[in-house]
Amino acid sequence: MEGAENTQGGNSSSADRMVGMEHSEVRYFTSYDHHGIHEEMLKDDVRTRSYRDSIYQNRHLFKDKVVLDVGCGTGILSMFAARAGAKHVIGVDMSSIIEKAKQIVHVNGLSDKITLLQGKMEEVHLPFPKVDIIISEWMGYFLLYESMLDTVLYARDTYLAPGGKIFPDKATMYVAGIEDGDYKDDKIGFWDNVYGFDYSPMKEIALTEPLVDTVEMKALVTDPCPIITFDLNTVTVADLAFKVPYNLTAKRSDFIHAMIAWFDIDFSACHKPIHFSTGPHAKYTHWKQTVFYLRDVLTIEEDEQVSGWLENRPNDKNKRDLDINLSYKFEINDPTRFAEGSCFYRMYVFPEHLVTTVT
Amino acid sequence: MASFSRSDLPAEKQPVDARSVSDESDSSNEEGWEDVEQEDDSQPVVDLFSETVYPDVRSMLKVCKDKHNFDLLKIQKQLDLDFLDSIKLVNYVRTQVKAGNKTPDVSSKSQFEDDAYLKPVLEDDALLYSLDDIVEEQAVDETSGGDADRRVLELQEELERLQTQFSEYRTAVQQSLEDQLTKEDEKLQPNAAKKTTDKTEEVDADYFSSYSYNTIHESMLKDTIRTDAYRDFVYENKHLFKDKVVLDVGCGTGILSMFCAKAGAKKVISVDNSNIIDRAKEIVYDNGLGDVITCVQGKIEEVTLPVEKVDIIISEWMGYGLLFEAMFDSVIYARDRYLAPDGLMVPSHATLRVAPFADPDFIASHISFWHNVYGFKMNSMLLNIYEEALVRGIQPTTIPGDSNIFLPLPLHTITVEELNFIKEFQFTLNEDIDALDGFAIWFDIFFMPSRESPVPENPIPSEMKKKGIVSFTTGPDDTETHWMQTILLIDHAKEQPKPLKKGQTFTGKVGYQRKQNGYRGLDINVEWNGGENASGKQQWALQ
Repeated sequence: MEGAENTQGGNSSSADRMVGMEHSEVRYFTSYDHHGIHEEMLKDDVRTRSYRDSIYQNRHLFKDKVVLDVGCGTGILSMFAARAGAKHVIGVDMSSIIEKAKQIVHVNGLSDKITLLQGKMEEVHLPFPKVDIIISEWMGYFLLYESMLDTVLYARDTYLAPGGKIFPDKATMYVAGIEDGDYKDDKIGFWDNVYGFDYSPMKEIALTEPLVDTVEMKALVTDPCPIITFDLNTVTVADLAFKVPYNLTAKRSDFIHAMIAWFDIDFSACHKPIHFSTGPHAKYTHWKQTVFYLRDVLTIEEDEQVSGWLENRPNDKNKRDLDINLSYKFEINDPTRFAEGSCFYRMYVFPEHLVTTVT
Repeated sequence: MASFSRSDLPAEKQPVDARSVSDESDSSNEEGWEDVEQEDDSQPVVDLFSETVYPDVRSMLKVCKDKHNFDLLKIQKQLDLDFLDSIKLVNYVRTQVKAGNKTPDVSSKSQFEDDAYLKPVLEDDALLYSLDDIVEEQAVDETSGGDADRRVLELQEELERLQTQFSEYRTAVQQSLEDQLTKEDEKLQPNAAKKTTDKTEEVDADYFSSYSYNTIHESMLKDTIRTDAYRDFVYENKHLFKDKVVLDVGCGTGILSMFCAKAGAKKVISVDNSNIIDRAKEIVYDNGLGDVITCVQGKIEEVTLPVEKVDIIISEWMGYGLLFEAMFDSVIYARDRYLAPDGLMVPSHATLRVAPFADPDFIASHISFWHNVYGFKMNSMLLNIYEEALVRGIQPTTIPGDSNIFLPLPLHTITVEELNFIKEFQFTLNEDIDALDGFAIWFDIFFMPSRESPVPENPIPSEMKKKGIVSFTTGPDDTETHWMQTILLIDHAKEQPKPLKKGQTFTGKVGYQRKQNGYRGLDINVEWNGGENASGKQQWALQ
């Protein structure tokens, strides 16, 4: 997400949590330069270039159109749209980064083409009643963690003219099984013996925390399985809580220590469709992949299958947290290898956001 | 730094992973995993024997074959070249042609078995990234009429094998690049610092990927420089702890408390305001230390302790730039309120150091970057980069002079008032630099075994260790800690920075001012004087 500081009314929850954290913890949630976020995202070439190409290669779609950029951050997508011939671009972001965006837009001589508004999408007043195109880089880790998708959907329902286009307009989530013995040992096994002490209470927490990390292609044991596709033209906020089945076929005999998830993004409104993947087979993006360690280790042979369900829903109390349930069933006649279980995970809202909200 | 990634190892320990080289490999290879059919996405490729660019690899290879009697596929087959061999072959041929030899000797593998040929001769050489496709096409050609299903399976296996090889290749390239860079590093050539930059970026990436609760503690416990030092001091000085009452301020998961209990302490009181104390209680209990260690949740200023005085206060209170986060105030409170008159502070001393910082590649990567972002000027993003102190792991080569202690902190006696200060420093450049880019600040920590132990005026951890004193540095010369270093960039915007000569002495003042209203902020002021055009005054915030 460009507007990484975008905090859709959820400040209080993390602030509450912060209260309990003083002393040994608070001091670690801080102190990266605040440009860092934007620098990292702009330097994520797969991300930025896909947006650029989808806009620059479709000037005929942008020409003389009114464009809305949801969560505009530094304004890069708005400027792409303006350069592509848009009649006018409106960029909206909650964060004070928009002050920088205004300066940037001015320096680049696009002030008359781009209007930047600070505030919540639900509260700002747009200079146009309807827009022809919505562009937004709303994706979070695991696609939906800290994502701005619900804001994009609000903008669609409120402002998008009939027949209007959304860039991007399709997101597909995938899962696959990986061999990850060494890292599982490092992340989970670590707690078995910490300087000679048994730290198993920490291990329980570690097992519920998905890990956002780069997974190497060679760690993949199974084929990938697409689990859900969101069509941004039609999806509703309610659809973002889902329970879907998956079925994975081993492509070699190996252990499965974890399931991973990633997403692909499509700009299918383009003349020549543009696509990028955040999977382990694709070029690095800052989204990396999300790793879910299993309590069991599955010993699987080539062509055998493991199936299960992945359930994702916002936490009841803190709607920005994700509660994820992953069940798996490895049905096989060999009782020593048969495995069935389900694991619960939570993706927390990281108090890091307080860096921008407290000060 | 809180972080949950496997790459939260200090940069120099990070496993070489795919991402650092994957920039070059945006092409068909990786995308092909899901959609094998889309492989024929052709891309322009430079001829092996000239600078002509062909629209795709196939047509280029045909010209090579027809015009130069160079049949890549045939050679691959004849010499039984695997993927890495083929890479080397291509780079070997390009090297030879570049050197003027248009008929390179490819009669045997030994001509190009040197790993140096793993390094691409051309940047973004499309041929290298298409090698596996060529092999695949070749395989298809060979088996026309075979059992189609079986072929598909074989091809999938082949693809998988090639992909594995490809990732090995990337690792190998990365390795060979790194080796080369290391060599160049030693020669102090300009591009040596590229490595530094990449590492810096990796470290950066971690800041944003950290949201996990557990991993704060994980990263602290896995900071072995930190945790080992506490463990070593406690275990090597069991006589100090035997039958003593110990207070652990900000105990976290309780690791320091458990060290003390194991070392023979009569009683350990562990205080933390965070909910982590619930985990600490369980951990203490699981380790059978529940009768020695008492965990108390709350602020040290507010809780009621079961004892009037303690013999030892142990605490790991240090923040970025040492004093960011003001937890030390609570330790001082605990000392004044609970420590027996002859009691011991663990650790006992800290020193704050400042040094010159010069890293043109850092500036290029993080400053110049904003001058042109996908064709747009984003200079205004730089407006407050000079107002924030950055926390980074830097290379020793970026410090062109000796560091200088600007504040020694004797922890038995220092007061809260002394933590807002202005102190003088002086350092001398020990090499020529193009510009003074800023200052680096870090701290060293010492564990003296008694209140009376004499501490030298300029204690250096590596030397103190030789004398048997447990100590560690968070400076760039030793293994990186999660504190890294605090970097203060000088804003040269108004005037061209001046090249400076070895021997140039700087004098100046560093000031720390804790923010009044914000409960965590810290302002750092530096005033420096290195002669004409090399003097100035600036303020940075750690927030």
